[in-house]
Amino acid sequence: MGSPRGEVTPFASLFPVDEAHKAVKRVEEKIAEKQKEMDHLKEFIADNNSIINLVSKLPEELHHDIMVPFGKAAFFPGRLIHTNEFVVLLGEGYYAERTSKQTADILKRRGKALDSQVESLKANIKDLKAEASFFDTTASEAAEGLVEIREDYVDEDLGEEHFESALKGKGESPGLNEKTRMVEDDDEYTRLMARLDELEKEELAAEDDDESIEDDPVANGALEDANEQKEQSNTIESDTVNSEHFQNAISGDLLLYQTHSMQRKPQEQEKIEDVAAEALSNKYQSDLSLNDEQNRTGSTIQPLPKAEKLSSKSSTHETKRHLRNEKASVLPEGKIEAMSSATQPVHMQSARPPSNSSKTEASQSGFDSSKAFTGSIVERSTDVLTTKSATLPPSDSQSKPSRPVSRFKMQRR
Amino acid sequence: MEKRQQEKIQKFEEFVDSRLKPDLVRAIGERDKVFEQQKIFVDLRRNIENLEKNSVTSLRTLVNLGSEVYVQADVPDTQRIFVDVGLGFHVEFTWSEALNFISLREEKIARQIEEYTLQIASIKTQIKLVYEGIRELMELPAEKPPPQRIF
Repeated sequence: MGSPRGEVTPFASLFPVDEAHKAVKRVEEKIAEKQKEMDHLKEFIADNNSIINLVSKLPEELHHDIMVPFGKAAFFPGRLIHTNEFVVLLGEGYYAERTSKQTADILKRRGKALDSQVESLKANIKDLKAEASFFDTTASEAAEGLVEIREDYVDEDLGEEHFESALKGKGESPGLNEKTRMVEDDDEYTRLMARLDELEKEELAAEDDDESIEDDPVANGALEDANEQKEQSNTIESDTVNSEHFQNAISGDLLLYQTHSMQRKPQEQEKIEDVAAEALSNKYQSDLSLNDEQNRTGSTIQPLPKAEKLSSKSSTHETKRHLRNEKASVLPEGKIEAMSSATQPVHMQSARPPSNSSKTEASQSGFDSSKAFTGSIVERSTDVLTTKSATLPPSDSQSKPSRPVSRFKMQRR
Repeated sequence: MEKRQQEKIQKFEEFVDSRLKPDLVRAIGERDKVFEQQKIFVDLRRNIENLEKNSVTSLRTLVNLGSEVYVQADVPDTQRIFVDVGLGFHVEFTWSEALNFISLREEKIARQIEEYTLQIASIKTQIKLVYEGIRELMELPAEKPPPQRIF
């Protein structure tokens, strides 16, 4: 069941790189034009305001001594008289003689009209910028050689491991039949994954009663395989914007991620009971939701990725992709070791903030197991893990790799 | 041969389009600016002559505050007029002195316009030269001069 049965379309053929670049330039030119117009309007507004001031100040004196211009190149010394009477151009050659206050009102109304023009221009510019950035990312993606893979959706049995394949370009409408899958070449690995899935299911059954928020994805994951997968693929597809960034950000975190998956297995094995610390779990949930997202494999059926954590989703994808890439090299060493070397991550995760109680950890870990990322597990030296765990930003999508570590650590405790 | 010719022709055309034509446009723009200046001084001179003719001593005008908002202004004594002599200076003149200055100024402006006109003409001839060269390369028949009447 490993080979994708779909069509592979290189992105470059759909959106030629050159044209994408040209489109970007065109849109940027338009943006520049609109920007100039906006500057114009802003000047007018500034002028308007200064005149409103002047018009209000003039009546303070009976006369003002001024230099009266005579054409463009000559002046007469003179004085302003009738300082409360203003002649205002209404347009089309019509003038109105008004007092200072009335003139100020006219000018204020003009200012409001200008303001609304500026607002509409701003909205215009914003749209154009979004368009430009879309073209830009499309161009860069096409240049990188991303491919779009379309496959018929087939409901797979739970025993198989599905990894998300190369991410699609952004902007593709999620086809109903699309599913991303990684090629599973290794039989041993498949068996391992199957076993993990079974353990997952058992844990899910155990978790259903205890967890509140986490229950939702868990329950859904257990019940609605097809929907989950579709949703996952949908979220995956909508994450294209983030996918690139995550790819780069997480490329170095592959090891950590693998370690995390390593934790997962011990979790399953231990069948950690979900403690009824729902409040804690909820709080932890919000903190680590990203982690959860990350743990979920796009292809595994059980966990249902949270819709709101799209970014984490994409990172999950990325990590999965990396995992897959490294699978060949890692598997031979990591597979069996993962099961037995669960203790190692524990030390690494000591850096985890102590806010998480063991209960939370336990529930978290239980929650993790339901997510069931069963990517290749790699045994890594402690150095890598410690450095990883040392870089824990608070609930940041970039910090996902560290999350699994900590969770595992807590579970260990 | 054809290819080389094509390249040469292309180069000529590019030269015309990217160098000569913008030069022409720029020169015409500068000359227009000087035309405006000239117009200003001509108007000023006419106004001052008018004032002198009608012996206007005081003046009521509407002064533009900007954005077409006008205020009445009164000039009690029109004998003194300040004229812009360039570099941000304005010199106080009487009418006759002002008229004198304005005619000097107008001469200077006329000379400037003459210069610009010459420049524009030379650019135009250069453009024509290049076109003729292209035509020769393409071996098209030369343009006939516009038919002239012979008296």
